[in-house]
Amino acid sequence: MSKSRGFTLVEVLVAILVLTIVITTTIAMFVERHKRLKQANETILAYQALSNEAEIWRRVAFARLDDANPAFKSDTAILAPLAPFTTSVRVDSPRADVKNVTFIIRWNTAQREAKLSIIRADTGGSGLW
Amino acid sequence: MRERGYTLLEIVVTLAVFGIFLWIVVVLTAEMRANEKRYPINYMAHPEVSAVMARLRRDIFDTTFYPQNFQGYERSPQTLLLYTIDQSGFGKTVIYDFRTHGEVHRKEYNATQLTGEWVAHGVPDFHFDDFTLDTGQVAARITARDEQNRLAIDEIFVPRPHK
Repeated sequence: MSKSRGFTLVEVLVAILVLTIVITTTIAMFVERHKRLKQANETILAYQALSNEAEIWRRVAFARLDDANPAFKSDTAILAPLAPFTTSVRVDSPRADVKNVTFIIRWNTAQREAKLSIIRADTGGSGLW
Repeated sequence: MRERGYTLLEIVVTLAVFGIFLWIVVVLTAEMRANEKRYPINYMAHPEVSAVMARLRRDIFDTTFYPQNFQGYERSPQTLLLYTIDQSGFGKTVIYDFRTHGEVHRKEYNATQLTGEWVAHGVPDFHFDDFTLDTGQVAARITARDEQNRLAIDEIFVPRPHK
């Protein structure tokens, strides 16, 4: 009797398994790459806004740093693609002559956050710049 | 004699597997396209743009004042005039000319003598604005939009020349 033509069940299952691994790995890589590119784009936009804030807050008089309700002072138009987003400024005083100013942007329902801090020292009003 | 070809079941299963794969690719591509439309071009990854921003940052940080006009150039959103201090402590006038589409021209003058010229190609159209701080100090705000008019660069530089 001639041998039957075709593949055995084991051969077919192994082939499907290999194909599934290849396809899922490829798709997972694609998705991960896409996610990271998106996050990188968001981070670059967020850090431009944070950097602008730092530039402005470096010049705020030391005594006025912890005025009531500190908030972003610059235009945040660059953050439009991240909408809805929130911005906040936190001022801590670890010492009488030192204040830490932290700028925070939260987006993606607060799941993503970018922060930048500057340390201000009381120079007695002489002004470094 | 055995019949040649595939059964209906084989074809349906093959098409179903292929269809699922195709659906995943289409969904991912659509999402990627949507994100491309949402986010501006990441110019910071372009060396020419980074070079322009680095030069602007360095020159503006060392600026002592912004001349209104110099050597036929008039200060405008597309022409930035700076009087800066160089590394050796001498003053020089630097002009950034953003008027040519896709180019940035930087000219450096010692008194009225042109001492250096640098051009960046393949860059977005930059724009210069004043940004006045609460302290009264005038900072430079540099912006650039991509081809779809999305704001891609927005940086504020406050001069801090050493005296």
